[in-house]
Amino acid sequence: MLRYPIIVTMVFLVLPGSSFAQTTINPDISVIPRFFVETNDGAKLPGKREFSQPDFSFQELEIAISSYLNPFAKADVVLTLPGPDIEAGKLGLEELYATVVRGLPLDINLRLGKYRVDFGKLNMQHPHAWSFITQPLSQERFLGEEGLNDLGLSASVLLPSGDVYSKLTVDVLRGAAIGEATGIEDTSGNKPTYATSARLMAFFTLGEYSDLETGISMYTGIHDPYNRGRFWYWNYDFKFKYKPSTYTSLVLQGEVLYNIRKASQDRELNQFLDANGNPVQRTINTAGLYLFADYQFYKIFSIGGRFDWSQSPYSKDDKATTMAVFFGYYPVEETLGLRLQYQNRKDDMPGFSQAVNSIGLQVLFSLGPHKAHPF
Amino acid sequence: MKCQMMVLLVALFLHNAQATVKVVTTLPDLADITQQIGGDRVNVDFIVRGNQNPHFVDVKPSYMMKLKSADVFLMIGMELELWAPQIIDGSRNTSLDVVDLSKNITKLEVPERLDASQGDVHRFGNPHYWLDPRNVRTIVQEIVASLAKVSPNDEQFYKTNADAYLKRLDTKIAEWELMMKPFRGSKIVTFHKSWSYFAGWLGFVIADQVEPKPGIPPSPSHTTELIQLVRTGNIKAIIVEPFYDTSAPEQIARSTSAKVLQLPTSVGGADAAKDYISMMDYNIETLAAVMK
Repeated sequence: MLRYPIIVTMVFLVLPGSSFAQTTINPDISVIPRFFVETNDGAKLPGKREFSQPDFSFQELEIAISSYLNPFAKADVVLTLPGPDIEAGKLGLEELYATVVRGLPLDINLRLGKYRVDFGKLNMQHPHAWSFITQPLSQERFLGEEGLNDLGLSASVLLPSGDVYSKLTVDVLRGAAIGEATGIEDTSGNKPTYATSARLMAFFTLGEYSDLETGISMYTGIHDPYNRGRFWYWNYDFKFKYKPSTYTSLVLQGEVLYNIRKASQDRELNQFLDANGNPVQRTINTAGLYLFADYQFYKIFSIGGRFDWSQSPYSKDDKATTMAVFFGYYPVEETLGLRLQYQNRKDDMPGFSQAVNSIGLQVLFSLGPHKAHPF
Repeated sequence: MKCQMMVLLVALFLHNAQATVKVVTTLPDLADITQQIGGDRVNVDFIVRGNQNPHFVDVKPSYMMKLKSADVFLMIGMELELWAPQIIDGSRNTSLDVVDLSKNITKLEVPERLDASQGDVHRFGNPHYWLDPRNVRTIVQEIVASLAKVSPNDEQFYKTNADAYLKRLDTKIAEWELMMKPFRGSKIVTFHKSWSYFAGWLGFVIADQVEPKPGIPPSPSHTTELIQLVRTGNIKAIIVEPFYDTSAPEQIARSTSAKVLQLPTSVGGADAAKDYISMMDYNIETLAAVMK
């Protein structure tokens, strides 16, 4: 009985677009630009700290296109124009994937393409949906500025856990995101090795107005193409939401990431040596975390704070801490948003220590249909 | 003894064979009507609480779980529940029958031009049609058909219950119309365009909305205009849904002789709104008391 829809789904997925008759059904298209004004006191003047002249910048433009391909599958494309490339007009491909949403055995969902990987809670969220402006340190340092986003195949299944929603997602990835995260370019000429990721999550309804989602994720791959050094990321995430009315809510969210990495060299490709000067492989154990609270106290206003702390993927001694408070103003639903953030970031590593205060204002608007955000 | 055992086994078999149809609805009003039709042969649940804005609902995995094992999902349609497709897809229920109850409704306020300058407009028209109880007849017919599709043997049972419910509703409609007859042609102000079908049925004229455009929060200039309108138009009632902020309507009421009425648009939106008929009873009686 299941065979027919599976075959139909697969055929529809692989058939070229020209096989279909022309249709008047257009996909949903959304355009979301983010502008940013920032000042900081990072550039020290002799004997005093002074905030710089505010810098106007274009943070990013997201163009999201989404539609059903057929009754069994849908497709999503997210094109981005990152801030620094706006003059150059370089359009990037953030995501491009097809998802089979029904018709497969065990109600498996299958995703194929380039996408934000289901690792932790924040990684799947696009930056315009964050309550704050800057990326948490642990995400930036361990997953990279674009988050864990790779080409691959993902399968997810709902687990038989009674009334509790629980889901297992497993990904096989090309492994390209590892280099982007660590900043190490692979010039080894070795055939790239796959990375794999998995997340097990559960959603609990705690009461009429409060819910909790919690998950554990794993990501592993070869980070060192020269010495085949493997790393493992283990991540725990939670999100608690109390929403007593349509326009009032409190969100508490956090993630802890633990890194286990076999390495023969540091990020700058300096070989690790033992006391006798012989090459040696070390196991590096480092971690990072963030925790934030966001309180929507009126339909159009929200206020929150975030703390994050992170070591580096390659060194326990390379640490950074951020404390941020942020304020959100959304005058007309989700079509226009203003976020104001004050942040204090401290970087601390052997021979270097710096604290920078920054104040940023982000303005974003949304053209076109905007889907409801998932929990 | 053997004979008695056989009778017991047959009875047990027949009891188990009469499976209940599992229905999930978006609004509690639809859940109530479905329960009236399906009786003990349906198991009904709903998603949006009566005091919650049905336009904005978080896509929670727990809602997906409700749909995962459901046979039928009943929706108001007309893009009131823009969040529903994500819940339907997330449920991974391939045998779910999704029923849009608006198919045969005569739709009001279908926009000629659709763009965001008009505010949060629905391209298929105003979706708040369930607040005209005459539309419940169409809703009931759709629900009977969808239940009978899943459980054809119970079709007559559903029809009998539906007829009984509609008879009761017709009596109440006549009663409500009689009660509101003296106020036909009177002007009211509403917060959102939720009351167009309700006003059309009872002959009220909606002079304006507190929202300058659908979904757009009240502005000081529009509130000032409304104060003038309420004063000159002898408007006695400003109707606000339970989930909207009442500060702008209260400001208008303080400057005029109008009263702010928080009327539920769904079952559970007020303590008295236990089911669809008692909700309409409450709304009609509350409004009539102010209009006198």
